[in-house]
Amino acid sequence: MTRRAGTGGSLAGAAIGASGASSWRMPLIVSASALLFVIGAAAPTRFAGEFVLRLGEEGLLLGILALSVAFLMNQAGLVALGAASVYGGAGYLFAIAMSEWDMTAIEALAVSLLIVVIYAAFLGALIVRTNPLAFMMLTLAAGEMVSHSVTLEGLRDYTGGADGLVVNFKGSIFGMQAADFANASRFWIVAWSAAWIAGLIIWAARRSRLGAILRAVRENEERMRFSGFNTYAPRLTAFVLVNAIAGACGLLHVLNAGFVSPDSLGLSVSTNTLVAALIGGVDGSIGPIVGGLAFSFAQDQFGAHGATQLFTGLAIVVFIVLLPSGVVGGLLEALQPRARALARRRKDA
Amino acid sequence: MLAIEKLSVSYGRVQALCEVDLEIRDDGVLHGVIGPNGAGKSTLLDAVCGRRRPTGGAVRYRGEDITRRSVAWRRRHGMARSFQRTSVFQNLTVLEQLRLVAQHLGDERFEDVIHVMDLGDYLDQKAGRIAYGVQRRVDVALALIGRPQLLLMDEPGAGLSAVETLRLFQHLRDLVGERKMAAVVVEHDVDAVFACCGKVTVLDLGRHLATGTPSEIRADRRVVAAYLGSAA
Repeated sequence: MTRRAGTGGSLAGAAIGASGASSWRMPLIVSASALLFVIGAAAPTRFAGEFVLRLGEEGLLLGILALSVAFLMNQAGLVALGAASVYGGAGYLFAIAMSEWDMTAIEALAVSLLIVVIYAAFLGALIVRTNPLAFMMLTLAAGEMVSHSVTLEGLRDYTGGADGLVVNFKGSIFGMQAADFANASRFWIVAWSAAWIAGLIIWAARRSRLGAILRAVRENEERMRFSGFNTYAPRLTAFVLVNAIAGACGLLHVLNAGFVSPDSLGLSVSTNTLVAALIGGVDGSIGPIVGGLAFSFAQDQFGAHGATQLFTGLAIVVFIVLLPSGVVGGLLEALQPRARALARRRKDA
Repeated sequence: MLAIEKLSVSYGRVQALCEVDLEIRDDGVLHGVIGPNGAGKSTLLDAVCGRRRPTGGAVRYRGEDITRRSVAWRRRHGMARSFQRTSVFQNLTVLEQLRLVAQHLGDERFEDVIHVMDLGDYLDQKAGRIAYGVQRRVDVALALIGRPQLLLMDEPGAGLSAVETLRLFQHLRDLVGERKMAAVVVEHDVDAVFACCGKVTVLDLGRHLATGTPSEIRADRRVVAAYLGSAA
Protein backbone atom coordinates (compact mmCIF):
# COMPACT_ATOMS: atom_id res chain seq x y z
CA MET A 1 0.00 0.00 0.00
CA THR A 2 1.31 3.38 -0.86
CA ARG A 3 0.44 6.44 1.10
CA ARG A 4 0.39 9.89 -0.35
CA ALA A 5 2.33 12.54 1.43
CA GLY A 6 0.11 14.81 3.48
CA THR A 7 -1.51 14.47 6.83
CA GLY A 8 -5.14 13.94 7.52
CA GLY A 9 -5.42 17.48 8.73
CA SER A 10 -4.10 18.89 5.48
CA LEU A 11 -6.41 16.72 3.42
CA ALA A 12 -9.48 17.48 5.44
CA GLY A 13 -8.78 21.09 6.20
CA ALA A 14 -8.73 22.78 2.82
CA ALA A 15 -12.01 23.76 1.24
CA ILE A 16 -13.16 22.48 -2.10
CA GLY A 17 -12.06 24.75 -4.87
CA ALA A 18 -9.81 26.71 -2.55
CA SER A 19 -7.59 29.24 -4.21
CA GLY A 20 -4.32 28.04 -5.57
CA ALA A 21 -3.02 31.58 -5.97
CA SER A 22 0.19 32.25 -4.17
CA SER A 23 0.44 35.07 -1.63
CA TRP A 24 1.83 37.69 -4.05
CA ARG A 25 -0.74 37.01 -6.75
CA MET A 26 -3.86 37.82 -4.77
CA PRO A 27 -2.96 41.46 -3.89
CA LEU A 28 -1.90 41.93 -7.52
CA ILE A 29 -5.22 40.60 -8.82
CA VAL A 30 -7.19 42.76 -6.34
CA SER A 31 -5.20 45.88 -7.27
CA ALA A 32 -5.59 45.25 -11.01
CA SER A 33 -9.31 44.62 -10.57
CA ALA A 34 -9.76 47.83 -8.56
CA LEU A 35 -7.90 49.78 -11.25
CA LEU A 36 -9.99 48.18 -13.99
CA PHE A 37 -13.15 49.01 -12.08
CA VAL A 38 -12.21 52.69 -11.72
CA ILE A 39 -11.09 53.01 -15.35
CA GLY A 40 -14.18 51.18 -16.60
CA ALA A 41 -16.45 53.42 -14.55
CA ALA A 42 -14.81 56.71 -15.48
CA ALA A 43 -13.32 56.40 -18.98
CA PRO A 44 -16.49 55.76 -21.02
CA THR A 45 -18.30 58.70 -19.40
CA ARG A 46 -15.42 60.95 -20.45
CA PHE A 47 -14.68 59.62 -23.92
CA ALA A 48 -17.83 57.93 -25.24
CA GLY A 49 -20.89 59.68 -26.64
CA GLU A 50 -24.37 59.25 -25.22
CA PHE A 51 -25.43 56.73 -27.85
CA VAL A 52 -22.47 54.49 -27.19
CA LEU A 53 -23.03 54.78 -23.46
CA ARG A 54 -26.67 53.76 -23.89
CA LEU A 55 -25.64 50.73 -25.91
CA GLY A 56 -23.07 49.87 -23.27
CA GLU A 57 -25.65 50.17 -20.50
CA GLU A 58 -28.03 47.88 -22.34
CA GLY A 59 -25.14 45.47 -22.83
CA LEU A 60 -24.23 45.54 -19.15
CA LEU A 61 -27.82 44.87 -18.06
CA LEU A 62 -28.08 42.05 -20.58
CA GLY A 63 -24.73 40.79 -19.29
CA ILE A 64 -25.99 40.74 -15.69
CA LEU A 65 -29.04 38.80 -16.82
CA ALA A 66 -26.79 36.46 -18.82
CA LEU A 67 -24.63 36.01 -15.73
CA SER A 68 -27.60 34.67 -13.79
CA VAL A 69 -28.61 32.30 -16.60
CA ALA A 70 -25.01 31.16 -17.13
CA PHE A 71 -24.53 30.35 -13.45
CA LEU A 72 -27.50 28.02 -13.43
CA MET A 73 -26.42 26.50 -16.74
CA ASN A 74 -22.80 25.99 -15.82
CA GLN A 75 -23.16 24.97 -12.19
CA ALA A 76 -26.45 23.11 -12.14
CA GLY A 77 -26.81 22.03 -15.76
CA LEU A 78 -30.18 23.79 -15.96
CA VAL A 79 -31.14 26.09 -18.83
CA ALA A 80 -33.74 28.69 -17.85
CA LEU A 81 -35.88 30.26 -20.56
CA GLY A 82 -37.88 32.47 -18.25
CA ALA A 83 -35.28 35.05 -17.24
CA ALA A 84 -37.26 37.82 -18.92
CA SER A 85 -40.36 37.16 -16.83
CA VAL A 86 -38.42 37.96 -13.66
CA TYR A 87 -36.49 40.81 -15.29
CA GLY A 88 -39.58 42.49 -16.68
CA GLY A 89 -41.79 41.32 -13.83
CA ALA A 90 -39.64 43.12 -11.27
CA GLY A 91 -39.99 46.29 -13.35
CA TYR A 92 -43.77 45.96 -13.41
CA LEU A 93 -43.88 45.34 -9.67
CA PHE A 94 -41.78 48.44 -9.06
CA ALA A 95 -44.01 50.58 -11.27
CA ILE A 96 -47.19 49.22 -9.67
CA ALA A 97 -45.80 49.65 -6.16
CA MET A 98 -45.00 53.29 -6.91
CA SER A 99 -48.24 54.19 -8.62
CA GLU A 100 -50.84 51.90 -7.03
CA TRP A 101 -49.46 51.18 -3.57
CA ASP A 102 -48.10 54.69 -3.07
CA MET A 103 -44.70 53.56 -1.87
CA THR A 104 -41.44 55.46 -1.88
CA ALA A 105 -38.81 54.31 -4.36
CA ILE A 106 -36.78 52.43 -1.75
CA GLU A 107 -39.88 50.67 -0.39
CA ALA A 108 -41.00 49.79 -3.91
CA LEU A 109 -37.56 48.34 -4.71
CA ALA A 110 -37.52 46.24 -1.56
CA VAL A 111 -41.08 44.97 -2.02
CA SER A 112 -40.54 44.19 -5.72
CA LEU A 113 -37.39 42.22 -4.98
CA LEU A 114 -39.07 40.39 -2.12
CA ILE A 115 -41.99 39.36 -4.34
CA VAL A 116 -39.56 38.20 -7.03
CA VAL A 117 -37.71 36.06 -4.47
CA ILE A 118 -40.98 34.56 -3.16
CA TYR A 119 -42.11 33.85 -6.74
CA ALA A 120 -38.75 32.24 -7.54
CA ALA A 121 -38.87 30.13 -4.38
CA PHE A 122 -42.40 28.96 -5.17
CA LEU A 123 -41.68 28.24 -8.84
CA GLY A 124 -38.32 26.68 -8.03
CA ALA A 125 -39.87 24.43 -5.40
CA LEU A 126 -42.06 23.00 -8.16
CA ILE A 127 -39.58 22.70 -10.99
CA VAL A 128 -35.99 22.20 -9.81
CA ARG A 129 -36.65 18.51 -9.18
CA THR A 130 -37.40 17.88 -12.84
CA ASN A 131 -34.92 16.84 -15.52
CA PRO A 132 -33.08 19.59 -17.45
CA LEU A 133 -35.37 19.45 -20.51
CA ALA A 134 -38.54 19.61 -18.43
CA PHE A 135 -37.00 22.41 -16.37
CA MET A 136 -36.30 24.43 -19.51
CA MET A 137 -39.84 23.95 -20.80
CA LEU A 138 -41.37 24.77 -17.41
CA THR A 139 -39.40 28.02 -17.12
CA LEU A 140 -40.53 28.86 -20.64
CA ALA A 141 -44.15 28.11 -19.73
CA ALA A 142 -44.00 30.12 -16.51
CA GLY A 143 -42.34 33.00 -18.34
CA GLU A 144 -44.97 33.03 -21.07
CA MET A 145 -47.75 32.97 -18.47
CA VAL A 146 -46.30 36.02 -16.72
CA SER A 147 -45.72 37.72 -20.06
CA HIS A 148 -49.27 37.09 -21.18
CA SER A 149 -50.86 38.06 -17.88
CA VAL A 150 -49.64 41.69 -18.07
CA THR A 151 -51.58 42.20 -21.30
CA LEU A 152 -54.83 40.80 -19.91
CA GLU A 153 -57.68 43.27 -20.29
CA GLY A 154 -58.82 42.68 -16.72
CA LEU A 155 -55.43 43.80 -15.40
CA ARG A 156 -55.09 46.78 -17.72
CA ASP A 157 -55.70 49.26 -14.91
CA TYR A 158 -52.64 47.93 -13.13
CA THR A 159 -50.33 46.91 -15.97
CA GLY A 160 -51.27 49.35 -18.70
CA GLY A 161 -51.93 46.50 -21.12
CA ALA A 162 -49.88 46.59 -24.33
CA ASP A 163 -48.84 50.20 -23.61
CA GLY A 164 -46.99 49.32 -20.45
CA LEU A 165 -46.48 51.64 -17.49
CA VAL A 166 -44.63 54.87 -16.96
CA VAL A 167 -42.77 54.89 -13.67
CA ASN A 168 -43.67 57.79 -11.40
CA PHE A 169 -40.46 58.02 -9.45
CA LYS A 170 -40.90 59.53 -5.98
CA GLY A 171 -38.00 60.47 -3.76
CA SER A 172 -34.47 59.26 -4.33
CA ILE A 173 -32.52 56.01 -4.23
CA PHE A 174 -29.15 56.30 -2.54
CA GLY A 175 -29.10 60.00 -3.36
CA MET A 176 -30.04 59.56 -7.02
CA GLN A 177 -33.18 61.12 -8.47
CA ALA A 178 -35.14 59.89 -11.48
CA ALA A 179 -33.21 62.28 -13.74
CA ASP A 180 -29.91 60.81 -12.56
CA PHE A 181 -30.96 57.30 -13.54
CA ALA A 182 -32.04 58.59 -16.95
CA ASN A 183 -28.72 60.36 -17.45
CA ALA A 184 -26.46 58.18 -19.62
CA SER A 185 -23.20 59.10 -17.91
CA ARG A 186 -24.51 58.65 -14.38
CA PHE A 187 -26.36 55.45 -15.15
CA TRP A 188 -23.24 54.00 -16.78
CA ILE A 189 -21.52 54.12 -13.38
CA VAL A 190 -24.56 52.47 -11.75
CA ALA A 191 -24.73 49.70 -14.39
CA TRP A 192 -20.96 49.19 -14.33
CA SER A 193 -20.99 48.89 -10.53
CA ALA A 194 -23.99 46.55 -10.63
CA ALA A 195 -22.20 44.32 -13.15
CA TRP A 196 -19.20 44.09 -10.85
CA ILE A 197 -21.35 43.35 -7.80
CA ALA A 198 -23.30 40.67 -9.68
CA GLY A 199 -20.02 39.24 -11.01
CA LEU A 200 -18.55 39.09 -7.50
CA ILE A 201 -21.68 37.42 -6.11
CA ILE A 202 -21.55 34.78 -8.84
CA TRP A 203 -17.79 34.39 -8.40
CA ALA A 204 -18.26 33.83 -4.66
CA ALA A 205 -21.16 31.43 -5.23
CA ARG A 206 -19.11 29.40 -7.71
CA ARG A 207 -16.25 29.07 -5.26
CA SER A 208 -18.47 28.39 -2.27
CA ARG A 209 -19.60 25.04 -0.99
CA LEU A 210 -22.91 25.66 -2.77
CA GLY A 211 -21.05 25.81 -6.09
CA ALA A 212 -19.11 22.64 -5.36
CA ILE A 213 -22.29 20.78 -4.40
CA LEU A 214 -24.16 22.05 -7.47
CA ARG A 215 -21.41 20.87 -9.80
CA ALA A 216 -21.31 17.48 -8.12
CA VAL A 217 -25.11 17.15 -8.28
CA ARG A 218 -25.04 18.12 -11.96
CA GLU A 219 -22.50 15.41 -12.62
CA ASN A 220 -23.87 12.56 -10.55
CA GLU A 221 -27.00 13.27 -8.58
CA GLU A 222 -27.53 9.70 -7.48
CA ARG A 223 -24.06 9.45 -6.00
CA MET A 224 -24.67 12.70 -4.16
CA ARG A 225 -27.86 11.35 -2.62
CA PHE A 226 -26.04 8.16 -1.69
CA SER A 227 -23.39 10.33 -0.06
CA GLY A 228 -26.03 11.81 2.22
CA PHE A 229 -26.61 15.10 0.36
CA ASN A 230 -29.95 16.76 -0.08
CA THR A 231 -29.80 17.50 -3.81
CA TYR A 232 -32.96 19.57 -3.88
CA ALA A 233 -32.11 22.45 -1.55
CA PRO A 234 -28.88 23.53 -3.31
CA ARG A 235 -30.64 23.72 -6.68
CA LEU A 236 -33.52 25.65 -5.17
CA THR A 237 -31.07 28.04 -3.49
CA ALA A 238 -29.27 28.59 -6.80
CA PHE A 239 -32.56 29.18 -8.61
CA VAL A 240 -33.66 31.78 -6.07
CA LEU A 241 -30.24 33.45 -6.15
CA VAL A 242 -30.15 33.84 -9.94
CA ASN A 243 -33.73 35.10 -10.01
CA ALA A 244 -32.91 37.67 -7.35
CA ILE A 245 -30.05 38.88 -9.55
CA ALA A 246 -32.33 38.93 -12.61
CA GLY A 247 -34.96 40.83 -10.64
CA ALA A 248 -32.43 43.41 -9.44
CA CYS A 249 -31.28 43.78 -13.04
CA GLY A 250 -34.88 44.39 -14.14
CA LEU A 251 -35.23 47.07 -11.47
CA LEU A 252 -32.15 48.84 -12.80
CA HIS A 253 -33.60 48.68 -16.28
CA VAL A 254 -36.89 50.27 -15.23
CA LEU A 255 -35.10 52.97 -13.25
CA ASN A 256 -33.09 53.81 -16.32
CA ALA A 257 -35.85 53.58 -18.91
CA GLY A 258 -38.56 55.20 -16.79
CA PHE A 259 -41.17 52.85 -18.16
CA VAL A 260 -41.88 49.15 -18.46
CA SER A 261 -43.67 47.37 -21.28
CA PRO A 262 -44.60 43.80 -22.25
CA ASP A 263 -41.50 43.76 -24.50
CA SER A 264 -39.29 43.48 -21.42
CA LEU A 265 -41.05 40.21 -20.49
CA GLY A 266 -40.90 38.67 -23.94
CA LEU A 267 -39.27 35.42 -24.94
CA SER A 268 -36.85 37.35 -27.14
CA VAL A 269 -35.27 38.89 -24.02
CA SER A 270 -34.77 35.39 -22.59
CA THR A 271 -33.26 34.04 -25.79
CA ASN A 272 -31.03 37.12 -26.21
CA THR A 273 -29.81 36.49 -22.68
CA LEU A 274 -28.97 32.92 -23.55
CA VAL A 275 -27.16 34.01 -26.72
CA ALA A 276 -25.18 36.64 -24.79
CA ALA A 277 -24.13 33.97 -22.27
CA LEU A 278 -23.04 31.62 -25.05
CA ILE A 279 -21.12 34.36 -26.87
CA GLY A 280 -19.21 35.43 -23.78
CA GLY A 281 -18.89 31.99 -22.24
CA VAL A 282 -20.90 30.50 -19.40
CA ASP A 283 -17.94 29.43 -17.28
CA GLY A 284 -17.08 32.40 -15.08
CA SER A 285 -18.21 35.88 -14.14
CA ILE A 286 -16.60 37.85 -16.96
CA GLY A 287 -17.83 35.90 -19.98
CA PRO A 288 -21.57 36.67 -19.74
CA ILE A 289 -20.90 40.39 -19.15
CA VAL A 290 -18.59 40.49 -22.18
CA GLY A 291 -21.26 38.55 -24.10
CA GLY A 292 -23.93 41.07 -23.13
CA LEU A 293 -21.80 44.00 -24.30
CA ALA A 294 -20.81 42.24 -27.53
CA PHE A 295 -24.43 41.34 -28.22
CA SER A 296 -25.64 44.89 -27.66
CA PHE A 297 -23.05 46.52 -29.96
CA ALA A 298 -23.35 43.76 -32.57
CA GLN A 299 -27.14 44.16 -32.68
CA ASP A 300 -26.69 47.85 -33.37
CA GLN A 301 -24.26 47.14 -36.21
CA PHE A 302 -26.42 44.36 -37.64
CA GLY A 303 -29.46 46.66 -37.47
CA ALA A 304 -27.59 49.35 -39.38
CA HIS A 305 -27.31 46.89 -42.28
CA GLY A 306 -30.99 46.01 -42.02
CA ALA A 307 -30.36 42.33 -41.38
CA THR A 308 -30.34 41.94 -37.62
CA GLN A 309 -31.83 38.43 -37.47
CA LEU A 310 -29.70 37.09 -40.33
CA PHE A 311 -26.41 38.32 -38.90
CA THR A 312 -27.40 37.33 -35.36
CA GLY A 313 -28.14 33.80 -36.55
CA LEU A 314 -24.83 33.62 -38.40
CA ALA A 315 -22.95 34.93 -35.39
CA ILE A 316 -24.58 32.31 -33.12
CA VAL A 317 -23.56 29.51 -35.49
CA VAL A 318 -20.01 30.83 -35.78
CA PHE A 319 -19.60 31.21 -32.02
CA ILE A 320 -21.06 27.82 -31.13
CA VAL A 321 -19.00 26.01 -33.77
CA LEU A 322 -15.70 27.88 -33.52
CA LEU A 323 -15.75 29.09 -29.92
CA PRO A 324 -17.88 26.66 -27.92
CA SER A 325 -16.47 28.08 -24.67
CA GLY A 326 -17.34 31.62 -25.71
CA VAL A 327 -15.05 34.61 -26.25
CA VAL A 328 -13.64 34.66 -22.72
CA GLY A 329 -13.50 30.87 -22.42
CA GLY A 330 -11.73 30.59 -25.79
CA LEU A 331 -9.26 33.29 -24.84
CA LEU A 332 -8.43 31.57 -21.56
CA GLU A 333 -8.03 28.22 -23.31
CA ALA A 334 -5.63 29.84 -25.78
CA LEU A 335 -3.63 31.49 -23.02
CA GLN A 336 -3.46 28.49 -20.69
CA PRO A 337 -0.78 26.48 -22.56
CA ARG A 338 1.37 29.62 -22.78
CA ALA A 339 0.94 30.31 -19.08
CA ARG A 340 1.87 26.71 -18.28
CA ALA A 341 4.94 26.90 -20.51
CA LEU A 342 5.99 30.15 -18.85
CA ALA A 343 5.57 28.64 -15.40
CA ARG A 344 7.60 25.60 -16.48
CA ARG A 345 10.42 27.81 -17.81
CA ARG A 346 10.48 29.79 -14.55
CA LYS A 347 10.57 26.57 -12.56
CA ASP A 348 13.42 25.19 -14.68
CA ALA A 349 15.34 28.44 -14.33
CA MET B 1 -28.06 -4.20 12.82
CA LEU B 2 -30.19 -4.88 9.73
CA ALA B 3 -33.30 -7.02 9.62
CA ILE B 4 -35.00 -7.64 6.31
CA GLU B 5 -38.52 -8.93 6.86
CA LYS B 6 -40.61 -10.54 4.13
CA LEU B 7 -39.19 -8.08 1.62
CA SER B 8 -40.82 -8.11 -1.80
CA VAL B 9 -40.09 -5.96 -4.86
CA SER B 10 -41.90 -6.05 -8.18
CA TYR B 11 -41.07 -4.51 -11.54
CA GLY B 12 -44.54 -4.33 -13.02
CA ARG B 13 -45.70 -7.93 -13.14
CA VAL B 14 -42.25 -9.34 -12.58
CA GLN B 15 -41.56 -10.33 -8.99
CA ALA B 16 -37.88 -9.53 -8.48
CA LEU B 17 -37.84 -10.31 -4.76
CA CYS B 18 -40.35 -12.48 -2.99
CA GLU B 19 -40.71 -12.31 0.80
CA VAL B 20 -37.02 -12.44 1.55
CA ASP B 21 -35.95 -12.62 5.21
CA LEU B 22 -32.40 -11.85 6.16
CA GLU B 23 -30.49 -10.63 9.18
CA ILE B 24 -27.14 -8.87 9.01
CA ARG B 25 -25.08 -8.40 12.16
CA ASP B 26 -22.39 -5.83 12.91
CA ASP B 27 -19.91 -8.52 13.80
CA GLY B 28 -17.13 -7.47 11.46
CA VAL B 29 -17.87 -10.27 9.03
CA LEU B 30 -18.39 -9.76 5.31
CA HIS B 31 -21.77 -11.11 4.30
CA GLY B 32 -21.80 -12.23 0.67
CA VAL B 33 -24.92 -12.49 -1.47
CA ILE B 34 -24.64 -14.72 -4.50
CA GLY B 35 -27.01 -16.20 -7.03
CA PRO B 36 -27.57 -16.55 -10.74
CA ASN B 37 -28.47 -13.61 -12.97
CA GLY B 38 -31.94 -12.32 -12.15
CA ALA B 39 -31.85 -13.76 -8.65
CA GLY B 40 -32.65 -10.35 -7.16
CA LYS B 41 -29.27 -9.60 -5.59
CA SER B 42 -28.96 -6.00 -6.76
CA THR B 43 -32.69 -5.45 -6.17
CA LEU B 44 -32.16 -6.55 -2.58
CA LEU B 45 -29.47 -3.90 -2.09
CA ASP B 46 -31.61 -1.29 -3.89
CA ALA B 47 -34.52 -1.96 -1.56
CA VAL B 48 -32.35 -1.93 1.55
CA CYS B 49 -30.63 1.37 0.70
CA GLY B 50 -33.82 3.11 -0.43
CA ARG B 51 -33.11 3.29 -4.13
CA ARG B 52 -36.16 1.16 -4.86
CA ARG B 53 -39.33 1.10 -2.81
CA PRO B 54 -40.40 -2.39 -1.72
CA THR B 55 -43.86 -3.59 -2.64
CA GLY B 56 -44.07 -5.54 0.59
CA GLY B 57 -42.24 -6.27 3.81
CA ALA B 58 -39.99 -4.05 5.86
CA VAL B 59 -36.40 -3.01 6.35
CA ARG B 60 -35.36 -2.51 9.95
CA TYR B 61 -32.12 -0.77 10.78
CA ARG B 62 -30.97 -0.74 14.38
CA GLY B 63 -34.49 -1.67 15.38
CA GLU B 64 -36.20 1.14 13.46
CA ASP B 65 -38.43 0.58 10.44
CA ILE B 66 -36.69 2.63 7.75
CA THR B 67 -38.60 1.28 4.74
CA ARG B 68 -39.83 4.75 3.82
CA ARG B 69 -36.75 6.73 4.77
CA SER B 70 -34.88 8.62 2.06
CA VAL B 71 -31.55 7.55 0.63
CA ALA B 72 -29.82 10.63 2.08
CA TRP B 73 -31.26 9.93 5.54
CA ARG B 74 -29.97 6.37 5.45
CA ARG B 75 -26.53 7.57 4.43
CA ARG B 76 -26.41 10.15 7.19
CA HIS B 77 -27.36 7.43 9.66
CA GLY B 78 -24.54 5.13 8.76
CA MET B 79 -25.77 3.11 5.79
CA ALA B 80 -23.58 3.38 2.69
CA ARG B 81 -23.43 1.64 -0.65
CA SER B 82 -21.30 1.29 -3.73
CA PHE B 83 -22.63 0.60 -7.20
CA GLN B 84 -22.45 -2.16 -9.78
CA ARG B 85 -21.66 0.45 -12.42
CA THR B 86 -18.97 2.77 -11.22
CA SER B 87 -20.59 5.90 -9.83
CA VAL B 88 -17.91 8.50 -9.23
CA PHE B 89 -17.62 12.18 -10.10
CA GLN B 90 -15.75 12.03 -13.39
CA ASN B 91 -14.76 15.70 -13.46
CA LEU B 92 -13.63 16.02 -9.87
CA THR B 93 -10.22 14.85 -8.73
CA VAL B 94 -10.17 11.84 -6.44
CA LEU B 95 -9.26 14.07 -3.50
CA GLU B 96 -11.93 16.67 -4.29
CA GLN B 97 -14.72 14.12 -4.29
CA LEU B 98 -13.55 12.31 -1.20
CA ARG B 99 -13.17 15.62 0.60
CA LEU B 100 -16.58 16.89 -0.53
CA VAL B 101 -18.29 13.83 0.95
CA ALA B 102 -16.06 13.78 4.03
CA GLN B 103 -16.83 17.42 4.83
CA HIS B 104 -20.54 16.78 4.49
CA LEU B 105 -20.46 13.72 6.71
CA GLY B 106 -18.06 15.33 9.19
CA ASP B 107 -15.37 12.70 8.66
CA GLU B 108 -12.05 14.35 9.47
CA ARG B 109 -10.11 11.11 9.23
CA PHE B 110 -10.96 10.13 5.69
CA GLU B 111 -7.29 9.62 4.85
CA ASP B 112 -7.75 6.14 6.33
CA VAL B 113 -10.03 5.38 3.41
CA ILE B 114 -7.42 6.66 0.95
CA HIS B 115 -4.93 4.31 2.56
CA VAL B 116 -7.22 1.31 2.67
CA MET B 117 -8.33 1.75 -0.93
CA ASP B 118 -4.75 2.45 -2.03
CA LEU B 119 -5.65 5.72 -3.73
CA GLY B 120 -2.65 7.79 -2.64
CA ASP B 121 -1.15 7.97 -6.12
CA TYR B 122 -4.36 9.20 -7.74
CA LEU B 123 -5.50 12.01 -5.47
CA ASP B 124 -4.80 14.84 -7.91
CA GLN B 125 -6.21 13.08 -10.95
CA LYS B 126 -9.71 13.54 -12.26
CA ALA B 127 -11.67 10.34 -11.70
CA GLY B 128 -12.66 10.20 -15.36
CA ARG B 129 -9.03 9.91 -16.36
CA ILE B 130 -7.94 7.03 -14.17
CA ALA B 131 -8.14 3.31 -14.89
CA TYR B 132 -11.47 1.58 -14.40
CA GLY B 133 -10.12 -0.60 -11.62
CA VAL B 134 -9.05 2.48 -9.68
CA GLN B 135 -12.44 4.10 -10.30
CA ARG B 136 -14.00 1.03 -8.69
CA ARG B 137 -11.84 1.65 -5.64
CA VAL B 138 -12.88 5.33 -5.58
CA ASP B 139 -16.50 4.17 -5.72
CA VAL B 140 -15.99 1.95 -2.68
CA ALA B 141 -13.97 4.69 -0.96
CA LEU B 142 -16.88 7.13 -1.33
CA ALA B 143 -19.06 4.58 0.43
CA LEU B 144 -16.53 4.10 3.21
CA ILE B 145 -16.30 7.78 4.12
CA GLY B 146 -18.12 8.78 7.27
CA ARG B 147 -17.34 5.44 8.91
CA PRO B 148 -20.63 3.77 7.97
CA GLN B 149 -21.95 1.07 10.24
CA LEU B 150 -23.55 -0.84 7.41
CA LEU B 151 -21.83 -1.10 4.05
CA LEU B 152 -23.69 -2.40 1.00
CA MET B 153 -21.57 -3.19 -2.05
CA ASP B 154 -22.91 -4.18 -5.41
CA GLU B 155 -20.33 -6.20 -7.32
CA PRO B 156 -17.27 -4.23 -6.26
CA GLY B 157 -15.22 -6.59 -8.41
CA ALA B 158 -17.12 -5.88 -11.63
CA GLY B 159 -14.64 -5.14 -14.42
CA LEU B 160 -11.66 -6.20 -12.33
CA SER B 161 -9.49 -9.24 -12.92
CA ALA B 162 -9.86 -12.23 -10.59
CA VAL B 163 -6.63 -11.27 -8.83
CA GLU B 164 -7.74 -7.63 -8.40
CA THR B 165 -11.14 -8.75 -7.15
CA LEU B 166 -9.60 -11.08 -4.60
CA ARG B 167 -7.23 -8.35 -3.44
CA LEU B 168 -10.10 -5.87 -3.09
CA PHE B 169 -12.13 -8.41 -1.12
CA GLN B 170 -9.19 -9.03 1.18
CA HIS B 171 -8.91 -5.29 1.85
CA LEU B 172 -12.63 -5.10 2.54
CA ARG B 173 -12.59 -8.14 4.81
CA ASP B 174 -9.76 -6.64 6.85
CA LEU B 175 -11.45 -3.24 7.03
CA VAL B 176 -14.85 -4.64 8.03
CA GLY B 177 -13.20 -6.84 10.64
CA GLU B 178 -11.12 -3.99 12.01
CA ARG B 179 -14.08 -1.60 12.27
CA LYS B 180 -16.53 -4.26 13.46
CA MET B 181 -19.09 -3.08 10.99
CA ALA B 182 -21.81 -4.87 9.08
CA ALA B 183 -21.20 -5.37 5.38
CA VAL B 184 -23.16 -6.97 2.58
CA VAL B 185 -21.47 -7.66 -0.71
CA VAL B 186 -23.20 -8.86 -3.86
CA GLU B 187 -20.74 -10.57 -6.15
CA HIS B 188 -20.55 -12.90 -9.12
CA ASP B 189 -17.04 -14.05 -8.32
CA VAL B 190 -17.93 -16.99 -6.08
CA ASP B 191 -14.29 -17.79 -5.35
CA ALA B 192 -13.69 -14.32 -3.91
CA VAL B 193 -16.91 -14.54 -1.86
CA PHE B 194 -16.06 -17.95 -0.44
CA ALA B 195 -12.50 -16.85 0.28
CA CYS B 196 -13.34 -13.64 2.13
CA CYS B 197 -16.94 -13.72 3.39
CA GLY B 198 -17.74 -15.22 6.76
CA LYS B 199 -21.36 -15.67 5.81
CA VAL B 200 -23.05 -16.23 2.48
CA THR B 201 -26.66 -15.90 1.38
CA VAL B 202 -27.88 -17.44 -1.84
CA LEU B 203 -30.84 -16.02 -3.75
CA ASP B 204 -32.56 -17.73 -6.63
CA LEU B 205 -35.41 -16.29 -8.71
CA GLY B 206 -36.07 -13.63 -6.07
CA ARG B 207 -36.30 -16.09 -3.21
CA HIS B 208 -34.02 -16.79 -0.31
CA LEU B 209 -32.42 -20.17 -0.87
CA ALA B 210 -29.87 -20.53 1.89
CA THR B 211 -27.67 -18.69 4.38
CA GLY B 212 -24.61 -20.12 6.06
CA THR B 213 -20.85 -20.22 6.21
CA PRO B 214 -19.01 -20.79 2.92
CA SER B 215 -18.49 -24.45 3.71
CA GLU B 216 -22.18 -24.91 4.59
CA ILE B 217 -23.20 -23.22 1.35
CA ARG B 218 -20.81 -25.32 -0.70
CA ALA B 219 -22.34 -28.43 0.81
CA ASP B 220 -25.95 -27.34 0.41
CA ARG B 221 -27.56 -29.52 -2.25
CA ARG B 222 -30.17 -26.94 -3.20
CA VAL B 223 -27.47 -24.34 -3.80
CA VAL B 224 -25.41 -26.77 -5.81
CA ALA B 225 -28.40 -27.65 -7.91
CA ALA B 226 -29.60 -24.08 -8.45
CA TYR B 227 -26.34 -22.18 -8.80
CA LEU B 228 -22.99 -23.72 -8.04
CA GLY B 229 -23.39 -26.92 -10.04
CA SER B 230 -20.24 -28.88 -10.64
CA ALA B 231 -18.11 -25.75 -10.16
CA ALA B 232 -18.50 -26.13 -6.40
